[in-house]
Amino acid sequence: MMVRASPIVALFPEASFGAALNCIGIAQALRERGARPVFICHPGFTGLFADYGFPEHPLPAGGGGEKPDTWLDFVSRHLPHFNLSPLEQLDSYVGPTWDAIVDTAIAVEAPLRQLLARLKPDAVVLDNVVMFPALAASGIPWVRMISCAETELPDAGVPPYLSGIAADDPSRRLFEKRYLKAVAPAHERFNRFRAGVGLAALPQGLFLEESPWLNLLLTPQIVRRERAIPLDPERFIYLEGCVRREGPFELPEFPSGGGPLVYLGFGSLGASDVALIERMIATFAAYPARFIVNVGGFRDAYRAVPDNVYLDAWFPQPSVVAKCDLFIHHGGNNSFCEALYFGVPSLVLPYCWDGHDNAQRAVETGVGLRLDRSRWTPAELTSAIASLIGDRPLRSRLADNAAMMAARSGTAHAADAIVALMTRQSPA
Amino acid sequence: MQRITKAMQTTRSRPRSNHLELAQRILSVVRSGGFRLGDRLAEQQIASLCNVSRTPVRAAMRLLADQGVLTWQRDAGYALAIDPSGTVEAAADLPSADEDRLAESILRDRAARRLDETVTASSLSRRYGKDRRAVLKSLRVLENENWIDKAPGQSWLFRAAQDGPEALAESYDYRLLLEPAALLEAGFKLDEGRAAAMRFGMEAQLASPEVSFEVREFQRLDLEFHGMVARGASNRFIGEAILHHLKLRRLPGALHSVNVFRLKQSTREHLAILDQLEARQFDAAADLMRVHLRLSRSQRPQAASRGAPVLPAGARPSERTGERSSR
Repeated sequence: MMVRASPIVALFPEASFGAALNCIGIAQALRERGARPVFICHPGFTGLFADYGFPEHPLPAGGGGEKPDTWLDFVSRHLPHFNLSPLEQLDSYVGPTWDAIVDTAIAVEAPLRQLLARLKPDAVVLDNVVMFPALAASGIPWVRMISCAETELPDAGVPPYLSGIAADDPSRRLFEKRYLKAVAPAHERFNRFRAGVGLAALPQGLFLEESPWLNLLLTPQIVRRERAIPLDPERFIYLEGCVRREGPFELPEFPSGGGPLVYLGFGSLGASDVALIERMIATFAAYPARFIVNVGGFRDAYRAVPDNVYLDAWFPQPSVVAKCDLFIHHGGNNSFCEALYFGVPSLVLPYCWDGHDNAQRAVETGVGLRLDRSRWTPAELTSAIASLIGDRPLRSRLADNAAMMAARSGTAHAADAIVALMTRQSPA
Repeated sequence: MQRITKAMQTTRSRPRSNHLELAQRILSVVRSGGFRLGDRLAEQQIASLCNVSRTPVRAAMRLLADQGVLTWQRDAGYALAIDPSGTVEAAADLPSADEDRLAESILRDRAARRLDETVTASSLSRRYGKDRRAVLKSLRVLENENWIDKAPGQSWLFRAAQDGPEALAESYDYRLLLEPAALLEAGFKLDEGRAAAMRFGMEAQLASPEVSFEVREFQRLDLEFHGMVARGASNRFIGEAILHHLKLRRLPGALHSVNVFRLKQSTREHLAILDQLEARQFDAAADLMRVHLRLSRSQRPQAASRGAPVLPAGARPSERTGERSSR
């Protein structure tokens, strides 16, 4: 296949903000290198990529076991699960989520096949946790973007995916066994689907194979794990995060005056836990700092917000984190990487998925602390905030790391590797 | 008084206090610097005399032009429109920064939900440490701008603001009805001087790199552009309805969710509409206005997560798949 002078790179993020915004960062860098990035996306994300100047190709929304009438239905169904331990979440949240993901992969198979035949991209960047057989069958070079924690790639040296435990935790075997059992129905269904379209079955618990071409991991060096079997450097590249450029953020005026700046953002789904955020805001009121709080679409649920707290429905997160002294987040991998990229310590209150793994890793590597979202006291919260803001050696270590990450821009590194892949035109 | 009335009629946002202070300094420089009626006031020269950069000078001079103190011409820039002896009176006529600052604080605190939907002058007086008269002045400023209404008794009630995805979507739907209609009514009149000034500002914004793009300046030009469309409408009720609605777009944070790429694209759309207006192609201008508002209406999903359903901002359940395919 000839490579066009201005090659088309189709970025295909899953329907989550983390993957979408991560791909926007790479697409910005690809555009600067003369490529033509386009997005294949969930219809609910239409407009997001266009706002950054990228063409969009929405696929049908797909099936999915979850069909709530409103977000409130979804939230009221799942909020209680988010207070469970990672082990307890396997049956209540992880299993059903894999079911929904498999539904999506099956539903978009035919339209994706048609779209790829029409678009004829020179490469596809798949930022997802499941394989789309249409992509494998297309013969187009594809890149696997691992935008979750590196636990997504199993290894004896890393903890089990979504477990939130240490690699050598004695409960490891139990978690692995329970995980395989919880995802088995979805996994069996997915393998049957793969067989039906001529794709080999995947081993137990896996929904996505490694790309023979290129695999990109966000995991910055400071939190990277030592693997029992090192990843092949020809096919696996660590990006040191992948932080997109955002518009400027003008710091709001706080009637309370000055003090350290803390940003709280639990992701769009996490913002639905109004009770948790209200409780945190009540604690912030007595703490001598300024707090910027992302409340998503729930602004009207709040009243009598203290003078040292500013809330809004959305923030250009990287531009905000860059100005902060502490980032309180849910352990989403983009949030974790952004904190590291800007040299800001993390206070992680995970609620699901790899948030548990990043919370554990933040503690293990000393770049942050973890609090259980449903079991903390105001004293514990303020103590965690104070210790992270006041830890000068940590700040100095994070600043050095941030300088290193900035010098090795993840978005640029990813774009260079993708451009090189299109030139090479053969698997590594 | 005439100047004040003129200032209050404009849809432009209330001047910022630093611009007001700088405007006062410019008037002082004009008085003491030997300037005469009709003299040209170069931005760079004034910036040097006031010891500030050109950007705030531009805003302050625009403010003085709004007050009728300066005139502006595309080729010549700003010139003194009054006798220097009148600058004292002009300074007194500038809006008071204090009451504006308090009004801004009230708006900011309402947006951050520090204030409830209903407030009283006494509670605000206590909160901000200002006397009741000053608070009432600020409340009237906000009332005049459609942010708040006097309720029975001592209370004031904030109106619904465009600070949520659903309200914002409804606002765009409303404007999609009115703004193209303003352009299509026979007799639409373009204010060519204002259009030329706006074009100058928009082209300057397009030329600025992303990192130094001024979001506030975009917001000002955006309001001015759509305000110009409203004022050009031959149907006065359509024009007034647009102006009335545009005042609600100033809420702090209202533009935070838009990235610089989209703001620049939006500026290009404004310029394309201006091109058609100047060519008196009002049908084409109305079509471009529809496209512009539709693209601006496009919003981020309200919430999404791996395996969870995606609900676009502002969408009602029945709209989840159908409505957005029209874009």
